[in-house]
Parts: sequence; structure tokens; C-alpha cells
Amino acid sequence: MSHGDVKSTRDTIKSENQQRLSPGRLKADEFGRAVSKIAVAQICESVGFQGFKESALEALTDILVCYLCDLGRNASFHANLAGRTECNLFDITRALEEWEASHGFPSASDIGHCLVGSGTVREIIRFVGSEEETPFAQPVPKFPIHIPTWLPAFPDPHTYIHTPMWNERASDPCADKIEQGRQRRKAEKALLQLQQRLVCNGSSGTSASLATDAEKEKVQGGESNPFLAAPLQPGEKDVSLVVSPAKLTDEARKGDHVSMLEPFAPAIEAMKGGPSDGGKLHLPEKRAAVHFKFRTGKKILGEPLDLGLQKKGERGTTAFLRNEERDDKKRRAEFILRQTTEFPMELNQS
Amino acid sequence: MNHNPQSSDGKHDDDSALSDFLASLMDYAPTIPDELVEHYLAKSGFQCPDVRLIRLVAVATQKFVAEVASDALQHCKARQAAVVKDKREKQQKDKRLILTMDDLQSHCASIFIGVWK
Repeated sequence: MSHGDVKSTRDTIKSENQQRLSPGRLKADEFGRAVSKIAVAQICESVGFQGFKESALEALTDILVCYLCDLGRNASFHANLAGRTECNLFDITRALEEWEASHGFPSASDIGHCLVGSGTVREIIRFVGSEEETPFAQPVPKFPIHIPTWLPAFPDPHTYIHTPMWNERASDPCADKIEQGRQRRKAEKALLQLQQRLVCNGSSGTSASLATDAEKEKVQGGESNPFLAAPLQPGEKDVSLVVSPAKLTDEARKGDHVSMLEPFAPAIEAMKGGPSDGGKLHLPEKRAAVHFKFRTGKKILGEPLDLGLQKKGERGTTAFLRNEERDDKKRRAEFILRQTTEFPMELNQS
Repeated sequence: MNHNPQSSDGKHDDDSALSDFLASLMDYAPTIPDELVEHYLAKSGFQCPDVRLIRLVAVATQKFVAEVASDALQHCKARQAAVVKDKREKQQKDKRLILTMDDLQSHCASIFIGVWK
């Protein structure tokens, strides 16, 4: 059964290293066997061999592994027999004696002797004393966890390894709340400023549109069309804000005129006067004749202004206006409705 | 009973020798690395936290393998000597001592029956 190549010790070590360091998943015991091979080669070299056949080396490696496993098994058996799980020196000595029993060792025939004086141990002591120390040739890394290859691979380590997280930013819930409130107030202020600007633009636009309307109606002459009649003075009649949604003047605030500023009046006053009067910062009920949806989402600015041609139900908010004004609004809305329904022809013609 | 003082002295000697030996094991580096020994012992159920006992097992294994190898070496040398004796006229072949299965089998066959085919 002498087959295989002849190898010297150095070649064996080199080849084993290459085998060991090759990438890929090794079989269950390949790593252990590779390391054992190197150790066996070193022992043989120390004994005096200069080369070995591959098959012979494999066989000797098998012997080494078999010996180790048998020793461990016997030692653990003796430990369990004594009611222990951890092995001690005497368990190992007994296991050694069992192994050597077939060959005989000094003091094998002594019965009832203390294991401390066992022949096997003495032989080992002698061996250690006689042999020169030959440490293992390569640095052995920590043995890999032997996982059978037929099991699925581990997931990426970052998915299950917990590494410490260094959160530089300390979270302070109180400070966060304060910051949040401050940002909200800032947003509200900006929004109010925007509305004020819109109002101002609207008022300047209103006068311009009024003038154009007046010109138009003068040119068209005195037709019986109420829509082409001369414009009413502000304050006489409610101006149909459907025509020009931007018709907002400060003068229009007088009397029965409803201006767009009214809903924001409390907010604007609050802006001027400071945010002290929180109770008055509720919206008056919605207006009658303006298609203007302004949703702010903030309660401080009030509910959205959903002003349609139809008068919607009164809202249960704390109203700024008195009841008379509310009735006036109702009447005005009804009048406009009637006009639109009674004179549809004129609408088409114009 | 008469042996008791003697045996006790012997025990003390043995104890001291053993303890010294175990202490010296920590300095000695066996050829078989500790990790390998631990791995195979753990596989067979051997559990021991003491490093000295691991070293002891390593040394015992090394001794065993060395014995087997030396036996094989004897066989190899004997074979070579026999060959040389026969062919004295021819030039002597290089005296490289190579471990072969033949040398092993003669020794190992008595120990291992059915370990390998």
C-alpha cells in the first residue's frame, strides 16, 4: 500500500499552509487535520525522518486524531464514573493507563497504588525531560467554529452583532418641545405677515378694479341691466365679491361690508398687540359671498374660510360679530342669490 | 501498614515531582498546539479548564506519535541496511529516511485493528 509522493517536512508544511489558507469553506475537520499533519511532520522530523510518503503521513495523522479522541473519551468516562463533569489529572492518568495496558508500562502490575506515581506519567515526565522542545511551526489561529457545510451560511455580521452606538447628540425632550413651539410660532408669524401683505396688495388692487368697473359701466350706457348699472358707492350695497375676490378695502370694513381682513382681524390685532389675548383669537363665523378657501391648519388663525354663494350653517365658534350683522349677511346672500337666478339671461348676454 | 510511611514518602515525592512537572509544562511548548488538542478533546467530551492538563495530553500524544515514528524509523533503517547488504557492489543509494506505509503497518497493525483499511 505504498503509494503517494515523497515529501519532505518543509514541503509538507508549505503545502499544508497553502491548503489551509486557501479561500472557501473548509470541510468540517479539514482545518484540524491540516494542523495535525503539520504537527506529525514535525514530530517525525524530530525523530529522524527526512521525508515521508503522503499516504503514510495521512495514516499517522489519523492515528494522532484517533489517539486524542480516545484519550478524551476515556478521561471523560472516568470523570463521569466518579460523578464529575470536569476531568482532572487522575482521569487522564487512568485513560493513559488503559491505552498503554496492551503494551505494558512500568508499574502496570501494581494494584492499589496511587495514580500520582503512575508509570505512564513518569514516562511522560521522562519523555519531556529527554526530548528537546520543538514548538509548532506555524502560529495557529483560534479554531474556527465547526459548522457543517450543509447548513446555511450566517447572515452578514452587522445584522446580528451589536456594536456600541455613540450618540453624540443628547436628546432632551423638554428642549425639543420648546424648540418645536418656537418654530411653530415662527411659522405662524410668517404666515400672518404673508396675509397682511396679501391684504395690502388686495386693497391696492381693489381700487384699481373699482375704477375700471366704473369706466366700463359708463361706456356701456344706461341699459336696464342691473349689472351694467353704475357702480354703487361703497357702503350702499354689498358688492358682489364674486366679481373680484380681491376687493378688500379698509373702508369696506365699516358698516355691513364684510372684508377679507375680518377673519384675520383678531390675528392681526394679536400680531400688533402681542399674543396675550388668546381667547379672542378664534375666527368669526365664515363669510357669505366669497369663494376663498384659505386653509391654514392652525387653530389660532381660525377655521378655513369656506365662503360659498350659499350661506352655510352657523359655526359654533365664539363670534366677534353681533347677531344683527349675521342677519344682514343672510339677507345680502339671499339677495345675491335671487339676482343670479332671476336674471340669468342678462348674465349670458353680458 | 508497614508500607505506609514508605508509601507516604513515595507519595510525597511523586506528588512533588508531579506538581513540579505540571508547573514546568507551562514553560514547555509541545509540538501539538493547544488549540488542536482542545478541539479534539472537546469533541469527545473532555472538559477541563486547566491548561496544564491540556498540555499533559498534548505531551502524551506527542510521545505516542514519536514512539510510532521511531518504530517506523527502525524498520526503515533495517530495510535500508538489508538492501545495502545485498547490493554492496552498487553505489549506495541516498540514505534518505522516508516514512512509508510499510514501516507504519508493522507497528500500527498491532494497535489499530480496523482504524483504516
